[in-house]
Amino acid sequence: MKRKMFALMIACVLTMTVAFAVTGYADGRTVAMICDSSISDGGWGMACYNAMIDAAAKCGWQTMYSDSIAQSAYYDTIVSYCDLGVNMIYAPGNQYTDAILQAAAEYPEIAFALLNGGEDTPAKAVNGNVSSLLPDAKQIGWIAGALAGLMTKTGTIAFIGGMELDTTKGKYAGYGEAADFVAKENGKSVKLLDPVYSGDFSASDKGLEFAKAMMDQGADVFFGDASAVDSGARQAIDAANEAAGEIKIYDIAQPADLLGQNACIIGSQVTDNSALIELSMKAVEAGTFGGETLYGTLQNGVLSAGKLNADTVPEDVQTAYAGYIQQMTDGTFMGGGAKAE
Amino acid sequence: MDIANLILAAIRISSPLIFLSLAELYSQRAGLVNIGIEGIAAIGSLVGFLVSVTTGSPTLGVLAGALAGILVNMIFAFATITLCAEQIVYGMAINIFAPALAAFIYRVYFGSGSTLVQGDLMATLENMLGIKSDHFLVNLSLDQTPMVYFAYILVIVTGIYFARTRSGLNFKAVGEYPKAAATLGINVNKTRYLACVICGALAGIGGAYLTTCYSRTYVDGNVAGRGFIALAAVIFGRWNAWGVLAACLFFGFCDALQIRLQLVSNAIPYQFFQMIPYAATILVLAVIGVKKAGPKACGQPYRKEER
Amino acid sequence: MKRNDFAARVFIPVLSILVSFLIGAVIIAAMGANPLEALQYLWKGAFGNVRNLGTTFARATPLIFTTLCACFAYRCGVFNLGGEGQFIIGAILACFIATKLPVTGVPAILLCAVAGAVGGGLWAMIAGLLKVYRGQNEMIITIMLNYIATLLMGVVYTNWLRDGNIPQTAAVPDEVKLPSFLGMRATIAFPIALIVGLLIFYYLFSTSSGFRLRAVGLNATAAKVNGFNIKHYVLMSFAVSGAIAGLGGALELLGTQFRLINGFAAGYGFDGVAMALIASLHPLTGILVAVFFAALRVGSTMMQTATGVPTSVSDIIQALVIVFTVAGLAMVRLPAFRNLFTRRARKEA
Repeated sequence: MKRKMFALMIACVLTMTVAFAVTGYADGRTVAMICDSSISDGGWGMACYNAMIDAAAKCGWQTMYSDSIAQSAYYDTIVSYCDLGVNMIYAPGNQYTDAILQAAAEYPEIAFALLNGGEDTPAKAVNGNVSSLLPDAKQIGWIAGALAGLMTKTGTIAFIGGMELDTTKGKYAGYGEAADFVAKENGKSVKLLDPVYSGDFSASDKGLEFAKAMMDQGADVFFGDASAVDSGARQAIDAANEAAGEIKIYDIAQPADLLGQNACIIGSQVTDNSALIELSMKAVEAGTFGGETLYGTLQNGVLSAGKLNADTVPEDVQTAYAGYIQQMTDGTFMGGGAKAE
Repeated sequence: MDIANLILAAIRISSPLIFLSLAELYSQRAGLVNIGIEGIAAIGSLVGFLVSVTTGSPTLGVLAGALAGILVNMIFAFATITLCAEQIVYGMAINIFAPALAAFIYRVYFGSGSTLVQGDLMATLENMLGIKSDHFLVNLSLDQTPMVYFAYILVIVTGIYFARTRSGLNFKAVGEYPKAAATLGINVNKTRYLACVICGALAGIGGAYLTTCYSRTYVDGNVAGRGFIALAAVIFGRWNAWGVLAACLFFGFCDALQIRLQLVSNAIPYQFFQMIPYAATILVLAVIGVKKAGPKACGQPYRKEER
Repeated sequence: MKRNDFAARVFIPVLSILVSFLIGAVIIAAMGANPLEALQYLWKGAFGNVRNLGTTFARATPLIFTTLCACFAYRCGVFNLGGEGQFIIGAILACFIATKLPVTGVPAILLCAVAGAVGGGLWAMIAGLLKVYRGQNEMIITIMLNYIATLLMGVVYTNWLRDGNIPQTAAVPDEVKLPSFLGMRATIAFPIALIVGLLIFYYLFSTSSGFRLRAVGLNATAAKVNGFNIKHYVLMSFAVSGAIAGLGGALELLGTQFRLINGFAAGYGFDGVAMALIASLHPLTGILVAVFFAALRVGSTMMQTATGVPTSVSDIIQALVIVFTVAGLAMVRLPAFRNLFTRRARKEA
């Protein structure tokens, strides 16, 4: 009985080994995206996924993706795609830097595009096949901050972060200084609450609690960097507005134009990642990809301000805001020190 | 820091815990340690969300969540009561199986699209009465969904059931001395199955609460360890309904405090606050000793054939 | 009787695996993907080439440690569910030593390993002392300790040992990283795990001390009557099983992960317990089971990236294996079931 079973098991194993063959991959170029949050998170994941789809459609590439990946699985998933023979790996966030550099060192033929990557990251790649796609964090903060400065009535504004990344801190700083500047120009003063970090990008109920706590401290304009956590925050803001009977606490969405998704959204800071991805794809096709940082700014159109909510934002504010955005684009905002870095 | 809002947050956070803890209480009082509450809650939250989104009724979602919880717990029940499998291990198996199943069903049902799926929340009593108020006491008593009132009523019912009704005392006997209970004519296995049904239903409701009364979206892993906090609450609350309620409120308070503290200062790492439920449980167990540590036959399979 | 027992203990896990894969294939087919293709990628991802094999072994190493931890403890009747916490404590100590202390090279590795083992053993002893001196059930306590350890690790990588702006610790310096095993992605931690398994096997089945330990586990009352020092063996089994897990944690940090991050060691402890049970508490079989589960996990990443079948399908398959095996093994121990066999044997006789 013992022997028969062992024989059976060995037979099974041998059969499996013989039966399985290696398959190659389809032709045409392919880009694969990995994301630690879900692509239906109402925020970052969704915007980055859509950006990749758009860019791929324009360039005729195919797409693949894996979402909701644990931090410990970044590298393995990237390598898995590399083994399948994709042409480009797209990683939307600074937190993938380690995994990207590790994989890039082992797959010199594959392009690695790191959104929000550090400016020094491409230089660290030994094979020169990594590029950082860097929307200007400070300008992102400005776009939201100017609107916050104009719209706040209580003088207190808030920021909810995901992970404490350099780009997040840059956005926070830009948000604060723009709001401060605009408020002063309009005879108000503004206080920016200390940022809170949820530590991840998917715990929407944390966003709920954070928002409630910050509203208790008087915040009436919210901006954030935290995908699904932001969705939770918006839910709390909507609930507070309903209880009060009027929309007086606002949220500025990002990185896509989310107007209409929640009642509290007054505007959005829009990052057109697809333009940056498209540039990368073209570079891969031309064979020039790698080793550089591609910036996204107001000036080159990657960053912009989304549509404003006509119901909650008064006409004069809309005009003033448009004026500020123009200043930012011209480089004259806040006295002219406003250049993309 | 605003005490009133802190208390409101504590109530809000502890409500799902009450359902999960009561579920575990019923189970342990019948002698079954069910550490799979976490998994059952995950399925409950998914099914609740699914049904709520498709039918538009959060209440139906909660009922569906309860049903799903019962079904999943029946697997546990069959394995531990009839097959006499190791309860802790099986609870763990459920913890691995149920969340995976929930994640899978979500992916399959909602597809790989990238739109955020949001459900409606159950209306609070305030909404139903049409009141809009900022007053603390009004909010505390009226700005809650019917589920919260249900939870507290359940606590009262459970307390009375176990302490004063014959059926409740028989129930407890099954968890303390099943052989003695059998000689009195109590059907031990049937009582245990009943306990599993109640446990599954309440755990499913606790999970469904998260997606129908608390947050409008479903995210994988949204139960976030509440099942184990419920386990701690049952032990910390000394296996009676009032103690469990007090434990849930205490743990909810700590969690609310910890979130608000993160806004104020970074002096004490917030994780230490999150440790409180677990450390408190160990402390209680260390102090009270074995004699008062729960139903005596808890965790042991019941075999009719054994002497 | 013994032959039937052995047959059951081999047959049931294998049957469970087959049934689980069958159900998995049905699910995959229902999703519109080709089950055969998906399973092919599963296989390829786990064993297809040397690199993947190395990844499988690397992923199996921590599981082997936690499985051995659970095996050893269970053999003494101790339900040590705290493998995860002990693993994490070992890793925390190793991280501290590797990144903060001015030691390097082989001495550093040895120091980390020893510290990890000691830390894990001490962490387990908390539950052990409570069991022996307060009579408390160690199952709940070890679970609670798991959560405390995980949260403690959270404090470590978000606060105390944090490096830069992402919540993670600094990477272990290159000189302290474990050397690779046969040039694969798996490190020498893998053969170390195998050696530990062999040592445990030898101890349990070929030494008188191990015999006594198993006796305590099988029937504590009889053991006491025979003069075995129960307390001593129970405490020892807590300490040693905790040390095994702690060692695993330290080696995992130095060999594969290099940083403490959110999700480090998630689920390893409970998985180890499940695998120990599937392997009927035999250390060497436990190693095989751990490699099998690791293969499932590693392969499922490739299955997911290649065919779009989500990794949760592989999770479901693994969970089903545990569900069916534990139920099946319990079922064959039922008196009613055994009567079936003895009645048949009597009829044939």
